[in-house]
Amino acid sequence: MVQYNFKKITVVPSGKDFIDIILSRTQRQTPTVVHKGYAISRLRKFYMRKVKFTQQNFHEKLTAIIDEFPRLDDIHPFYGDLLHVLYNKDHYKLALGQINTARNIIGKIAKDYVKLLKYGDSLYRCKCLKVAALGRMCTVIKRIGPSLAYLEQIRQHMARLPSIDPNTRTILICGYPNVGKSSFINKITRADVDVQPYAFTTKSLFVGHTDYKYLRYQVIDTPGILDRPFEDRNIIEMCSITALAHIRAAVLFFLDISGSCGYSIAQQAALFHSIKALFMNKPLIIVCNKIDLQPLEGLSDDDIKLVMEMKAEASQTVIAQGDEPNDESVFLTMSALTDDGVIAVKNAACERLLNQRVEMKMKSKKINDCLNRFHVAIPKPRDTRERPPCIPQAVLEARAKANVEKEKRKLEKDLENENGGAGVYSANLRKHYILANDEWKEDIMPEILDGHNVYDFVDPDILQRLEELEGEEEGFQLEAEAEEKYFEIDGKELTPEELEALAEIRKKKSLLIQEHRMKKSTAESRPVLPRKFDKDRKFTSERMGRQLSALGLDPTAATNRARCRSVSRRGQKRERSLAREGEDGDAMDIDGEQSSKKLRTRSRSRSKSRSKSQPPGEVTPGEGFRNSSQKLKALKIAKKSVKIRNKTARRGEADRVIPNLKPKHLFSGKRSIGKTSRR
Amino acid sequence: MRLEKCWFCSSTSYPGHGIQFVHNDAKIFRFCRSKCHKNFKMKRNPRKVKWTKSYRRLHGKDMTQNSTFEFERKCNRLERYDRNITENTLKGYLAIKKIDKIRVAREARHHDMRMRGKKAIVRQAAAMELEQSIHLVKAPAALQEDPSFTLRKMKVKISQSQMEDRMEK
Repeated sequence: MVQYNFKKITVVPSGKDFIDIILSRTQRQTPTVVHKGYAISRLRKFYMRKVKFTQQNFHEKLTAIIDEFPRLDDIHPFYGDLLHVLYNKDHYKLALGQINTARNIIGKIAKDYVKLLKYGDSLYRCKCLKVAALGRMCTVIKRIGPSLAYLEQIRQHMARLPSIDPNTRTILICGYPNVGKSSFINKITRADVDVQPYAFTTKSLFVGHTDYKYLRYQVIDTPGILDRPFEDRNIIEMCSITALAHIRAAVLFFLDISGSCGYSIAQQAALFHSIKALFMNKPLIIVCNKIDLQPLEGLSDDDIKLVMEMKAEASQTVIAQGDEPNDESVFLTMSALTDDGVIAVKNAACERLLNQRVEMKMKSKKINDCLNRFHVAIPKPRDTRERPPCIPQAVLEARAKANVEKEKRKLEKDLENENGGAGVYSANLRKHYILANDEWKEDIMPEILDGHNVYDFVDPDILQRLEELEGEEEGFQLEAEAEEKYFEIDGKELTPEELEALAEIRKKKSLLIQEHRMKKSTAESRPVLPRKFDKDRKFTSERMGRQLSALGLDPTAATNRARCRSVSRRGQKRERSLAREGEDGDAMDIDGEQSSKKLRTRSRSRSKSRSKSQPPGEVTPGEGFRNSSQKLKALKIAKKSVKIRNKTARRGEADRVIPNLKPKHLFSGKRSIGKTSRR
Repeated sequence: MRLEKCWFCSSTSYPGHGIQFVHNDAKIFRFCRSKCHKNFKMKRNPRKVKWTKSYRRLHGKDMTQNSTFEFERKCNRLERYDRNITENTLKGYLAIKKIDKIRVAREARHHDMRMRGKKAIVRQAAAMELEQSIHLVKAPAALQEDPSFTLRKMKVKISQSQMEDRMEK
C-alpha cells in the first residue's frame, strides 16, 4: 500500500519570498535590454513577454502547492481524521482555497494587461502597463501571505508525522495515562519513546516495529485517554481516538492494577466501558501492567470484579470472531519493569491479529484465485525419536575454558592504564619476540659501524669465511712481495744536475706558455711599440748580459758591442775594447774608465737634447729630398708662407687656445629634439 | 637506519644527507649530495664522469670483483636475531674491521699493479724532454763545449785590468 509520504511536499515560501523568487526569475530569464528606438511591435512583445512569464511562473508554483498538499477526502480516513484533529479541516481547506483563487486572479490580471499592451503606443506606456500588471500580481500574493505561512507550518508538522501504514498488521496500545504503554513499546521494539513519571508524556502517536513468525508488525503507542465525554477531549486524546477508530488493529488495553498511575481501577474500567464501542471487530487483549508492584491476587474484591467484567467483554469479542474463549489470549499480566510476561503479551497479540487477518483473507473472494497455487510441504517424521543438535564434548570443554580465560587474562589496555595512561606508557613490543634465548630480548643491536650497515654483514658462518679470507690474503701478499722483487728497476736514473737542468727547462717552458697566454688574450688591444719606446727598461744590455750568461755564454763581448752602438753614445769616441791586451799606460785605462763612467751616468734625455751639429742644407737620408738645393728651396718656401702672418700678428697654429673648455651651451639646457644623454 | 649508496658516485650517504628521487616506475635513486643530484638531472651518465666510482671500476682504475665484497650483501630476508652471530660480526672477532683492512690492502695492491711500469715511462719521458729542450737553457755554443745536459755555473772572465785594479785597491 502507498506509504503516505508527507515529506515530499515542496517548501511553501512566505509571501515576500515568493514575490522575490518570481520577480528575480523574470528578471533573469527574459531579455532585459530595450531602447525607445525599437519598433513598436518589438517593444510591445518585450513587455507582453514579461507579463506572461510572470503569470506563468506564479501559476506553476501555486499549482504545485495545491497539488502536493493532500486532499483530506481522498486519503485514508485515518489520515484524514488525524489531519483534521491536528490542523482543523476547515481551516486547511480554506487556505488551499485561497491559494486557488489567487492563482485565478493572477491569470485574469495577466490576460487583461496583455490585452492593454497590444495597444500601447510608446515605450513609456508599455513599461507602465507592465509595472502595473506585475504590481497587482504581487499584491495578490501579499494578501495570501498568512495562508502561505499557515500552509508552511502544516507542511513542516506533517513531515514529522510517524509513517503509519493503515493497512498492515498493527497493534494498538491504549489506556489511561501513565499505565506503562511507552515502556512496553520500548521493550518490544527499537522505538525510543520518552518514559516519564508525569501524565501525558506521550503527546502524539509513536510507531515501532516488531517481528513475529517472520512477519513485521507495527506497534502504535498512543497518548493516554481520559474518561471524558467526546466533545471535551483535547487534540492529543483525539489522536488516539482516531487511531483506534480507523485502523484495523489488535488492541491492547493496558490496566494499571497497582494504581500508581494516579487512577483507580474503577476509573480505568469506566474508561474501558466508554470506549468499548471502538473495539468492535478488533482482537482485544486486556493487559494488567505493573504486577511487580501489586500482584493480581492481592487486589480487593471489587477490583477483581471489575477486572473480570472487562475480561468478559474481551472474551465476547473472541467469541464473536468464532474462536474458542481462551483465558490466556484475552487476559494477561506483565511487568514492563521486570520484563515479566512482556513477550507473552506480544506473542498473544500478534497471534490473535494474525489469525483474524488470515480469516478475513480466507473469507474474501480474492483468496480463491491464489489458494490452489499454495502447498505447504511438511516432512513426515520417521519415528518418534528425538534428534537434538550434536556438539562434541571437547568443543564444549574448550568453549568453557575459553570463557574462563577471557575473564582472567590481563589485557594490554589494563597494563597501560596502570602505568600512567596513553601518553605516558609505551608498550614494550619486545616482550613477544620469539628468540632462541630469552635473555636476548632486550639486546640493542647497533645498525652502523665504520661506515657499513651491520645487518649486511651478519651471517652465521661469518667466522669461517673470515678465516678463509685471511688465508687467501696471506697468499696474495706473499705473491705480491715475490713479484716486486722481480720487477727491478733498470737503472737509468738522471743525475741531480740533470734533474736541475730539467727543472729549469720546465720552468722556462711554463713561463713561455704563460707569456704566450697573456699575449694571446691582449693581442688585439696591445700596442706594438718599437724598441726605442721601452719604458719598462726590458731591453738593456745588462739584461742581455744576464740572459746570455744564464744560457752559458760569455756576455762581455756582446754587451760591449751593444753599449758601443747605443744611441746615448752617439757622437762619442769608440771605446777601447776592454779585452784588448798589451795596452800600455794607465792614462788610456783611466780614460777608458772615465769614459765608461760617463757612459753609465749620462742620461738619455740629455743625449736627445744635444742636437747633431749639421749645416742646414745638408740632406739626411730619409727626409725625402733629392739634393740639398731642393731642401733649401723647401725651407725658403716654408719661411715665406708664415712671413705675412707673423708680420700681421695673426693667430697661428701655435697660438691656438681653447678659451672655454666647457661652454655652457653645450653642457646645459634641454634640446628641442633629440636626447640629452650624451653631452 | 641504513647507510645507502649514492646512485651517481657510489659513495655512502649518511642519514640526514642527500635527496631521494622516486621514479614513476617506483625505482628509487639516492644521491649523497646536490652535486650528484644535479649531475643526474643533467642526464649525465656516471660511467662517463671521471670522479665517480662506476667510471673508475669500468676503466679498471679500482678493484671490481673481490671476495671482500661478498661479505657485505644486502639481505632482504629477515634473519632472527642471534647474539652470538652479532657479536662475532661486531666486536668479539672484529669481523668488520678485519674485512675492511683486507679490502684496503687489496685495493692498494691493485693500485700498485696498475702503476707498475710508470716509473720507467716517466724516466724515459724526462730524458727525452731534457735532450730535446736543452736549448732553452743552454746555448748551442755552450753545448758544443760541454756536451753534457747540465747547467754549469758560469765563470765570468773579469779582464785582467780590472783584476789588477782591484788588487791595487
